[in-house]
Amino acid sequence: MRSRQAAIAIRLILIVAGLGVAAFLYAFPLYWLIATSLKSKAELYQSITLFPRHPTLQPYYSVLFERGFWVLLKNSVLVCAATVLVTLAVGLVITYPITRLTVPPRLRVGVLNWALSLRFLPPVAVVVPYFAIVRTLQIYNQPIALIGIYSLFNLPFAIWMLKGFLAEIPLELEEAALVDGANRWTSFRRVLLPLAAPGLMAAATIVFTFAWSEFLFALILTATPNSQTFPVGVQGLVTQFEIIWNDMAAAGVIAMSVPLLLMVIGRRYMVAGLTFGVIREK
Amino acid sequence: MKKRLTRRDFVIQAAITGASFSSLPAILAACGTGNATPSSSKPSKLTIAAVQGNEDGPLKKVVGNYKSQTGIEVQVVEFPYADLFTKLVTTFQANDSSYDLCMMDDPWMPKFGTMGALQPLDSNFGFTRDSDIPTVVYDVGTWPPPHGPVPPSEQGKTQHLYGITIVGNVEMFMYRSDKSAAPASWDEVLSNAAKYNAASFYGYVIRGKATNPVSSDSLPILWSFGGNIFDDNWKVKLDSSDSITAVDFLTRKLKKYAEPGPENTDAADRSRLMAIGQAYQSTVWPGEITGIVEDPSVSQVKGKVAYIPIPQGPSGKGLGMMGNWLLGIPKGSKNGQAAADFIKWMLKTDNMRNYVAQGGIPIRNSILNDASLASANPYFKALAASFAAVPNWRPRTDQWGAVETSYGTAMNAAVAGQLTPQAAMQKAASEIRTVMKNAGYPS
Amino acid sequence: MSHLVAELPVPTGPQPGRTGRRGRSRQERLAYTILLPAVGTVFLIVTIPFVIAIWQSITSDDGTLIGLRNYTRALGNPLFFDALRATGLYALIVLPTEILLGLAFALFVHRTIKQAGLRATLYVLAVLPLVVPPVAVGVVARLIYAPGYGVLNYVLQSVGITHSEIQWLGVPALAMGSVASVDIWQWTPFVYLVLFAGLQTVPKESIEAAQVDGATWWTQFRYIELHYLRPLFLLILFFRVADVLRVFDHVYILTGGGPGTATQLLSLYIYRIEFRFFDGGQAAALAVMVLVSISILYSLVTRALPLERA
Repeated sequence: MRSRQAAIAIRLILIVAGLGVAAFLYAFPLYWLIATSLKSKAELYQSITLFPRHPTLQPYYSVLFERGFWVLLKNSVLVCAATVLVTLAVGLVITYPITRLTVPPRLRVGVLNWALSLRFLPPVAVVVPYFAIVRTLQIYNQPIALIGIYSLFNLPFAIWMLKGFLAEIPLELEEAALVDGANRWTSFRRVLLPLAAPGLMAAATIVFTFAWSEFLFALILTATPNSQTFPVGVQGLVTQFEIIWNDMAAAGVIAMSVPLLLMVIGRRYMVAGLTFGVIREK
Repeated sequence: MKKRLTRRDFVIQAAITGASFSSLPAILAACGTGNATPSSSKPSKLTIAAVQGNEDGPLKKVVGNYKSQTGIEVQVVEFPYADLFTKLVTTFQANDSSYDLCMMDDPWMPKFGTMGALQPLDSNFGFTRDSDIPTVVYDVGTWPPPHGPVPPSEQGKTQHLYGITIVGNVEMFMYRSDKSAAPASWDEVLSNAAKYNAASFYGYVIRGKATNPVSSDSLPILWSFGGNIFDDNWKVKLDSSDSITAVDFLTRKLKKYAEPGPENTDAADRSRLMAIGQAYQSTVWPGEITGIVEDPSVSQVKGKVAYIPIPQGPSGKGLGMMGNWLLGIPKGSKNGQAAADFIKWMLKTDNMRNYVAQGGIPIRNSILNDASLASANPYFKALAASFAAVPNWRPRTDQWGAVETSYGTAMNAAVAGQLTPQAAMQKAASEIRTVMKNAGYPS
Repeated sequence: MSHLVAELPVPTGPQPGRTGRRGRSRQERLAYTILLPAVGTVFLIVTIPFVIAIWQSITSDDGTLIGLRNYTRALGNPLFFDALRATGLYALIVLPTEILLGLAFALFVHRTIKQAGLRATLYVLAVLPLVVPPVAVGVVARLIYAPGYGVLNYVLQSVGITHSEIQWLGVPALAMGSVASVDIWQWTPFVYLVLFAGLQTVPKESIEAAQVDGATWWTQFRYIELHYLRPLFLLILFFRVADVLRVFDHVYILTGGGPGTATQLLSLYIYRIEFRFFDGGQAAALAVMVLVSISILYSLVTRALPLERA
């Protein structure tokens, strides 16, 4: 009797300790970010405290309006939304034949493998040629340059995710529609798309998240708030020629909140997306 | 990156399809929204690429006045120091019209001049030398440089004015005048540092962060000891005994009384230490003075700090360093005349006085020597004296980016104690020799 | 919420009924018609930069062919090998740590926490660090490690563990550790999630049988669970190595490559060559070398870890 109570007690202590340490290590940096974002400029010249002395939202106002970052926020939203649309459209066009039509298996493997290989590509290795292309096409400092490149880099994810979801929809449903006289396009639109909607939403949230975080291409291919995205603005505040840690923290909080919000919605598909469908919900 | 597909005919078909998509560029180009509207007579907006920090603060404050006077909105797009340089070069390479004006640190002039990236202010827009503005200000904005060694590829080019200073930065020296008199030489600086060093009160603050920060901070010391990066024929002399003595002075002797972690300290940190009363002396840029050390909302030492030109070294010279920020007009700008008008507006005496009131650094002698402004701007006298003594400027080479990176990284390692002064300078010297040789300089 | 499963597909042999090139069915032709324009365009968009990079690497600024001089310069630059070494060191710190920590936590949760509600909460919490933009994580790290205003030193000094400021970003070893810690913080949850899903697939009967036989948790792990987790380890390595080779954002923000070149990883090195030194030819040569190496690495990896049913 006593040993079982002890065992339960030990287990409880272990759980609390283990979770407690992990929770602290993950929660404290985020707390510190938020706390710093609520400090006034004068407070930055005094000694450090764990809690803001006079919490204020001034840094957020400063970041969004005085520095005009709300434009960057708007750009980020537009670019990411457009990227999602393009990526899903092209992804569907590529995935549909592979999963719904009879194609030689080696073709299927080839395309999927090629899609996966893009995951290995270091962006910095291709930023130089892409800069040359952007220059030639005269789309430097235009959002369309970023949309095109982000779509390209997110296509692998989209293809693998969509493949996983489309493959699960039974072929018979579409065949039934075809037998009833519908053509491919109608059966695609009326039968397949509604069933694939959860998968599309999943891919959409993940593509949006990854496009949101992209930094290097945005840094190089943009010049003015006409096309700069929010991460570029965040990086611009990490300067040590000014003591603006509170603004820097506020920008960091804003940058984080969008993907965090999305992920609470799209959490079921995150791991599937990151592992190219190997780990999935069942 | 791309995996060769195994089916040969798929590849062939893909190539054919791809070739049929050669219209893609045209489609994309058509989709792009236009850049700047072609200027008729007056644009509604001018865009300035500026450096983020204390230097562009006053600029941002006065552009509102310009809009109320002329109706033209001036958009200031900011970047941190190193990124601004990268951004300007890439924009110039793209011959893009995004920027109508650009703020340039004076050491960048050689690269932009060599690239031919700027519009000449004298021949295109009629700028002439104003006697109220120090000659050295015009010299630093002229390419090829009027004195000092000229890069071999630029010799023989006609001189033109390409930029005018709007931030009259000359590196100076600050110290707590409530504790002692002004140091007359670097040796006195050292002895004062030893004397006043205490817990949480550092005898000297070293701005040692890698590349530009430590380079700016250490060059005046290098020069005061008779050292230099290049001699008059572009031969590297970083590993000469004078240079190494100077580096040793900074990274060993002064470091004993410096703040912990100098290899990470940048200008704002250094000024902050001064402002909160934890530092005795350091080099300083005027922008830090107005923005931090003399800012009543954050400074605890207002009125206790004095400013002097750079002290003398054993060579008997105290060589200040130019760090002017200039405004120039990129070749790609479609609003050249409007941009030039803006520069002229900034230079007008009345506007400059207003600029000073917002914390700007002026370049007119009449303003610097104006007694009525002296108490509000305690550094004016030192700045006027520094201009009059004709401060030195950084080597006028288009390879300055690479040179500063090598020199600044090596100096940072020396400040951090990872390399001895000798090893650091030898490393930098050999890297710089390679760079200059590849770029066609005499070696 | 239903649980995650790990399904590593096993490659099967060629399916019956395929006739190869002859006798393409109507479906196949339809497939090609839909597939080719999209894949062809994307293929082209992906190939053109490669071709451009090769061209840039063998010509000088004004367009004249100069052969392989950029390559010899790139390989002759000692900083290049420093960058490779730094990247290798980074990988050696980050990968084992993430895998071990993630595994430990997965085992811990799997064994000690049985309530579905708590597990679901942990799942959501574990996903969150993965989606934080690297620039934002870099900002967070700056606020922790930076000298002067970093909270880590403040905490250590308040608690009394240290008495002077530790230069987390100034000492090369510590800077590398700081940069690595950010990666570990962000990606250990990924390892946890994958391995946890893998642990779910272990049949309960085997575990119960082992426990009846009196196995300790170690034997249980070594002989039963490890078997199911083995392919997942490969998967994790695959993705994490890919990411480590590409890492840029948070290092750029946190140290910019410093102190000196201590944290100048490969991507930062290439960035410096192209955008600080403006040595386009050398940067292009580096890019080509990186692209070729990665293609080779990729084909080797996929041979060992077939991720798709044939």
